[in-house]
Amino acid sequence: MGQTLRFTGMLLRAYARDRTALFFSLIVPLMLLVIFGYLNLGAFGKVSLAIDDQARNAASGQLVSTLRGIDTLEIRDESADAARRQLKRTELDMLVVIPPDYTIAPARPGQAVPQLVIVGNDARPQQVSVGTAIITAIITHTTFAVSQIAPVVSVKQERIEGVRLRYVDFLVPGILGVNIMQLAIFSVAFALVVDKRRGVLRRIMATPLRPSRFLVAQVLTRLVLATVQIFIMLGVATLLFGYHSVGGILPLLVVALLGAILFLTIGFALAGWAETENQVPAIAQLITLPQFFFSGVFFQKEAAPELIRPITNALPLTFLNDALREISVQGASLWDVRSQILGLLVWTVIGFILAIRFFRFDRF
Amino acid sequence: MTAIVAVRDLRKNYGEIQAVRGTSFEVAEGEIFGLLGPNGAGKTTTVEILEGLRKADGGSAIVAGVDVSKDPVAAKRRVGVQLQQSAFPENLTAKEVVELFAICYDVRVDAMALLAAVDLADRAGQRQEKLSGGQRQRLSIAAALVNTPRVLFLDEPTTGLDPQARRNLWELVRTIRSNGTTVFLTTHYMDEAEVLCDRVAVMDHGDIIALDAPRRLIAGLLERGFTKPVVQQQANLEDVFLDLTGHGLREGD
Repeated sequence: MGQTLRFTGMLLRAYARDRTALFFSLIVPLMLLVIFGYLNLGAFGKVSLAIDDQARNAASGQLVSTLRGIDTLEIRDESADAARRQLKRTELDMLVVIPPDYTIAPARPGQAVPQLVIVGNDARPQQVSVGTAIITAIITHTTFAVSQIAPVVSVKQERIEGVRLRYVDFLVPGILGVNIMQLAIFSVAFALVVDKRRGVLRRIMATPLRPSRFLVAQVLTRLVLATVQIFIMLGVATLLFGYHSVGGILPLLVVALLGAILFLTIGFALAGWAETENQVPAIAQLITLPQFFFSGVFFQKEAAPELIRPITNALPLTFLNDALREISVQGASLWDVRSQILGLLVWTVIGFILAIRFFRFDRF
Repeated sequence: MTAIVAVRDLRKNYGEIQAVRGTSFEVAEGEIFGLLGPNGAGKTTTVEILEGLRKADGGSAIVAGVDVSKDPVAAKRRVGVQLQQSAFPENLTAKEVVELFAICYDVRVDAMALLAAVDLADRAGQRQEKLSGGQRQRLSIAAALVNTPRVLFLDEPTTGLDPQARRNLWELVRTIRSNGTTVFLTTHYMDEAEVLCDRVAVMDHGDIIALDAPRRLIAGLLERGFTKPVVQQQANLEDVFLDLTGHGLREGD
């Protein structure tokens, strides 16, 4: 182990001097986080909601003030007609029309219940689903209150909803996942193809150093880098966006490193297959780009077309992102995300087989 | 003569091509042995089998008492190598390269002493990729010496070097030999083989076709009645070059 660790130390020393590599593995991911964090924070995090209160009674006033108290919602007083025009131009996400007969009272047999009309903008499906969920939750709570079977903890539940729906909390685990993938695949594939072509690997293999130790050192180097990357990203996300992982940092790190190992096996397979470093980006993009878009990095993976969803659900990055998000947003434990971890392990085995098939020391 | 390298009926095929076809020879402990031959003669393949980098298809190779095909790792422990067309990892200093190879052999070395031995002490802190061709060859020899090898394999060590750097490397090779290390080198330069090697083997089409001391090979050729039109020339262009530019190593070498 000592030899492997000392070799790892040397690799890290060389890596720390490689400005280009540092830029791509540490700065670019941060840029991704900051750009998307700032750009989409407002766009997604606030759902613009127009309210046309036609009842103007105590009950409707209470509903409106409750809605106003929710961070995620940006409330505007508009007439239904004006709001519909704004919806058409996507200047608005949703409209709620409170009918004149709106009241909160136990329903009597034979009497129609007041009907709340919610108009959603089809061009903003995520905002609409978030807004609808909030309004439905409030109505349910209010109804419970009237029916005298209200749970005492109802107010607390609303607050959890508020935290959960922030875009940055959704975004950070996704960015974490995609960067782990990029770091693992690109850093290994590029560095080792260059080393292979320049004869560095042949020179190392002319020493008695065991190939397995060489590989473990390469893997350890990347895991150290991944860990540094994760902490920098979480630190910046916390400072800039007030990010907080509900499930804690440790399970997040464990899952991220499992993901790193999975993508490292793919990186090694690619390094073994490619003859020159020019072939690396093409194939690496082919592998990473679909996952970038379909594995729920920036948007819910449910945004992908229904037809390909069985495929997108089985992508390696989907398992990684889902597990990270469950931990970060829902506070899941490692045991709770065991099915995603299993998915990661299955992919790791596949990647490992590919790596053994393509990364052959006797060919260097 | 104690053989430190003993090759018996060594064979290696690449598909249809017979790169090494049943060659046998021995290298005595403490000599500078040269393996000569045109490109594609099988020199590098032979050397790489002896270094434990390639598996032979037949025959045996004993290096420093170890059967290379049976225990390539043990053979690697006992030899030092400098490969053709190889490189060191980037972003390491000369000193760190030596340390890296010490790690590969799992030995502790005085990296500065090794660098001083190849006249690179003043370059210890410089990035390896910034060294000149001659400096890099000397660094690769320093890296090949970390395990105090019994045999040092040098594959075309002076290819691409200027005359000063070549002569400097010859001196280094002689010093290494005088410290008790056997040197096994390949070269395309006949003048180099003539002045540096105690014995040379000439290889062609995968087999050794002559093996002796350079002077005796020349004598043998003359005995067979070889003559060439003699132009009595007391100097050649290289002498002119060295007279003009001096024997000293250049800045940056």
